[in-house]
Amino acid sequence: MTQLRYLIEYAALRFGLWLLGCVSFAAAQRLAVRVADFWYRLNVARRRTARDNIRRAGISLNSVEVDRIARESFRHFALLVIESVQTHKTFAGQTWQQHIEMDIHPETMSVLKEPGVGVILVSGHFGNWEVAARILSCFKPVVGVTKKMSNPYTDRPIARRKTHNRLSLTPMRDADAGRFLSVLKAGEILALLVDQYARGRKKVMVDFFGVPASTHPSPALLHLVTRKPLCFGYCLRTGPMRFKLVAGRPIRIPPTGNRESDIRAILLELNRRLEEAIRLTPEQYVWAHRRWRTT
Amino acid sequence: MACDETLTKLRDVMKQSSKAKIAWNAVGPDTSIQSLGFDSLSILDLIYDIQQAFGVEFEAEELARVRTVRELANFLESKQQPVC
Repeated sequence: MTQLRYLIEYAALRFGLWLLGCVSFAAAQRLAVRVADFWYRLNVARRRTARDNIRRAGISLNSVEVDRIARESFRHFALLVIESVQTHKTFAGQTWQQHIEMDIHPETMSVLKEPGVGVILVSGHFGNWEVAARILSCFKPVVGVTKKMSNPYTDRPIARRKTHNRLSLTPMRDADAGRFLSVLKAGEILALLVDQYARGRKKVMVDFFGVPASTHPSPALLHLVTRKPLCFGYCLRTGPMRFKLVAGRPIRIPPTGNRESDIRAILLELNRRLEEAIRLTPEQYVWAHRRWRTT
Repeated sequence: MACDETLTKLRDVMKQSSKAKIAWNAVGPDTSIQSLGFDSLSILDLIYDIQQAFGVEFEAEELARVRTVRELANFLESKQQPVC
């Protein structure tokens, strides 16, 4: 039964990619919004999760406003998929800078431009993180840390589309123990998402919008053991295929020697920066993601 | 060549950091680190624990090419004052 579901999903993916290749970007956007609206009505569980999360985060308690943000969030995700499919066309040529506005702290820009300096770059399920990785790969090679999809048929073509010569992917738990360290040693960017629900005994409960959320300690641990610059950034959609890449000053939290408290302090700061960004544009956060499933 | 004291201490730290169920008494100098259940994430815990236990500061990326317990012990001894 699972195998059949995987094959149906794979067929739907191939059809979707074929369709996107046949229509204009504007038509693909319109289609994406329609599909998102349909999915919002159909998928009761995800709709409820999105609404609950918006309330829990204190973004709004007004049910009309909560519904609007949740619906926009679904549309945002559909547009993200369309944009991500288009990135290889938009950012391949010399004109990619016309699509990007940058608001990057000079210290962060300096580490991004300095050859040989590995950077730990953290973001969340906010804005278009796929485009962010693509843009950052213009500074130095990017290795994105990802969770493997459960469907092996769709995982392969999606991973293939995401990667190119300066952007590659690595599983969150790579059997090659030195994988993350090699990336940083080579002076590349290791990109992680901080707001994924963490399982296992290493998870840390850290406040996100004031509510404890199970969080991976890896960005904090990586920073503590490598002392490489730790930066938080995101890529906001400002128009059709137009984006603003934002990154603040690198995070500096002096280590105290107490691992638990150091990790917690770094994760709290990362979450604080992500919350700050989300509050400004809550429509571009993936609220349907089950961030607080233990509370 | 790594001394026994370093190898024993290292094995204790690894035992603490690894989540894998392993016959730790059978772990020798030529055992590969990967076989001890460390992956790209859990190795970070090990490095942090090693830095604390051995009181040494080093760039974690220097360990990217270390493959066996002996290589790791040799590396740590090269960073420390001689103990044996």
